[in-house]
Amino acid sequence: MMSKPTDPAVVHVIDDEAPFRRSLLFLLESAGWMAIGHESAEAFLDAAPPFPETGGCLVLDIRMPRISGLELQRRLNAAGSAFPVVFMTGHGDVELAVQAMKAGAVDFLQKPFKDQPFLDTVERAVALSQTRHDAERRRMQACESLGHLSPREAEVARWLALGLSNKEIARELAISDHTVHIHRQHVMEKTGTGSAAELARLILRANPDGLD
Amino acid sequence: MRLFVLILLWFPALVWAADIRIGLLAWQGEESAASEWRPLLKALQDGLPGHRLHAFYFDLKGMANAVSDRQLDFVVTNPGHYVALEAQHGVTRIATQIIESGQDSAHTVGSAVIVRSDRTDLQTLDDLKGRRLAAVSTDAFGGYQVVWAALKGRGIDPEDGDFVPYFTGFPMTRVIDAVDSGAADAGTIRSCLLERLEAEGKVAAGRYRVLSPQDVPGPCRRSSPVYPGWAFAAAPQTSPELAREVLIVLLGLSPRVTGQTWGVPADYHPVHEMLRELQIEPYAFLREHRLESQVRRYWPIAAGLVLLLIFWVVYTLRVEVLVQRRTRELSAALAARDRLAESIEAHRQQMEHLSRLSILGELSGTLAHELNQPLATIGNYANSLTRRLERGSLSAEATARAAAEIASESERAAGILAGIRAFARKRTRIRERVALLTLVEGAVQLFRGMIPDAPPVELSDRLPEEQRTVTVDPLQIQQILLNLLKNGLDAQRAAGCPEAPLRIELTAGGASDATISVRDRGTGMPEAERARLFEPFFTTKPEGMGLGLSISRSIAEAHGGTLDAREPDDGPGLVLCLQLPVTPVTDKDDEQAD
Repeated sequence: MMSKPTDPAVVHVIDDEAPFRRSLLFLLESAGWMAIGHESAEAFLDAAPPFPETGGCLVLDIRMPRISGLELQRRLNAAGSAFPVVFMTGHGDVELAVQAMKAGAVDFLQKPFKDQPFLDTVERAVALSQTRHDAERRRMQACESLGHLSPREAEVARWLALGLSNKEIARELAISDHTVHIHRQHVMEKTGTGSAAELARLILRANPDGLD
Repeated sequence: MRLFVLILLWFPALVWAADIRIGLLAWQGEESAASEWRPLLKALQDGLPGHRLHAFYFDLKGMANAVSDRQLDFVVTNPGHYVALEAQHGVTRIATQIIESGQDSAHTVGSAVIVRSDRTDLQTLDDLKGRRLAAVSTDAFGGYQVVWAALKGRGIDPEDGDFVPYFTGFPMTRVIDAVDSGAADAGTIRSCLLERLEAEGKVAAGRYRVLSPQDVPGPCRRSSPVYPGWAFAAAPQTSPELAREVLIVLLGLSPRVTGQTWGVPADYHPVHEMLRELQIEPYAFLREHRLESQVRRYWPIAAGLVLLLIFWVVYTLRVEVLVQRRTRELSAALAARDRLAESIEAHRQQMEHLSRLSILGELSGTLAHELNQPLATIGNYANSLTRRLERGSLSAEATARAAAEIASESERAAGILAGIRAFARKRTRIRERVALLTLVEGAVQLFRGMIPDAPPVELSDRLPEEQRTVTVDPLQIQQILLNLLKNGLDAQRAAGCPEAPLRIELTAGGASDATISVRDRGTGMPEAERARLFEPFFTTKPEGMGLGLSISRSIAEAHGGTLDAREPDDGPGLVLCLQLPVTPVTDKDDEQAD
């Protein structure tokens, strides 16, 4: 039994079937989650809840009037939402399941499902959301650090990260060794890194393609 | 040809002129007869020098045939046979034989029935009852037939088994031998034979006695009346001249020469009487059963009547048989019709049942979803309660909420099941008056409720005021509409536009019908497919059974309506028209409405 009393992630349940939705909220609350219900995809989009620091996930009925579960997933993906999605369906619809999983769903549950597998899936989804969120936060921090550099400093930083010496950089940029040295000191100060290797990790965290 | 006829005519004339053919009855055989008649023939030949006599000997039947074939000019035969020939062939007697001198020709032949003198138990002819009577032959006139007639006159008839005849054959002395030996109780012989034998010393006088001796003058005792003697008769074609010539010779014969004399022809009427009595030739026909002879005489009429009767019976039977057969056929036909009607009804109900089942099958996904929801909900609450109890965080408020939800959801599940059961159950014929619009709206609601992503259904009502009511089985009509809507949706899905609106139009179809047309915006259907659309098991869907429309049409027809498909006037797709007879609005309804 997992519990997050001090760390209440938010689970959003989106299902047009009110009694069932309420029963899921009741179940999630029993397991100690903070759960919020939405009667439709539109209602969720209108509410536009922020992604909590402590993580969260969506439990989504795949068949709903107007905007279906799959459609909502597509829109959230497009908007870069960090909410992992767990799908539910009353039908053993393999085709829909495949589509959902391809689009990055965490799991696909067929109603009626047992409580423990459901709660485990929610747990997994929330953990995934936290992992994703941490990675995102670090990327943002890296971007922010690198954002303080001037264009010339950013150029010097890239060459440093690629392992070039001051002389080589001076030759490459057609500037004096001394000027390179000054830039290097500024880079190290601004990014708070102590070595070329550290600098390379920071650049890659901000942009995986940054050293190509 | 002409020559041949001439010869035939001439030839008998030739024979006529010269030859006289005499047929003689050889009653004891030809040899005996030849010796007996030789004197007579010789005397005749002598008396008729211009002719040549030819003698022929016959038995009774042979003589009759010879006379019939005109092979004879004269016949000499016994009285009985003469009477037969006279009756049957028209021979005419010219002289009658006289056996003993002193007899007259009309009373020549009689018979004596003799017994041994020691048989005192036999006194009269009546005593012969149950005895054996010896005689020469059944054909013998004086030797049997005369006595037979006398006995029959006394009510004793061998044909009734009253006595047993014992025929010895000729010569007649054998009869006497039979009586003497005791082989027979009595014997019948010609009268005078016994006297002659006694006179000749061949039989001891007084050894034999004559029964019922007739009181007549003369030496001969006899038991019977006497009859005329043998006849000398001319054949029908014999000329009277020749007959007279022969007669003259006959009458002139001396008994010394021939041993017999011929007298004037006697009256043979008593012979006729006797033979008639005995019912023997020529009266043998009397022997025939009375009814038989009547039948013979009247057989054409009788046969006609019998035929008529048979015809009538056959006709009556035939009519009766036909009536019964027709009745059977009719009742069989009626029974067959009833059975057919029953089987059609059963079939229809079966089809409807199948249809409901097939719709159920097609909607089973949706139905499973419907049922899964309350079940899953109930499961969630139950698990949650357990979980909270274990954590010690179960509040009274939460328990109450969960219990209420569980109760409500189980009720919902039961409702869904009841609905399915009602839908799947076989239904008997129901007719209710309903407003068509209400029915259609109900079906649309049902459709949208069953299919989550159902497209919108546009409903246009152009029914006139007096054509808004139908008398139908509401569930069945809704079943048709549901089927049509679902088909429409399937068609639109196949065409890739499942969200396009379906359209239902209510219009007046003539004065007494209402038309519900359901239009989809699928790809439509070619004429050939449309023609087969309502055939059972015709389907264009990979998973369809092809029963829906066929059953729908049978339901429509059971309501006196029709179900057809046509092309829409505008754009692609298909229009299915359900036409139903409307129930006329009566005054009473108006009053009630008021």
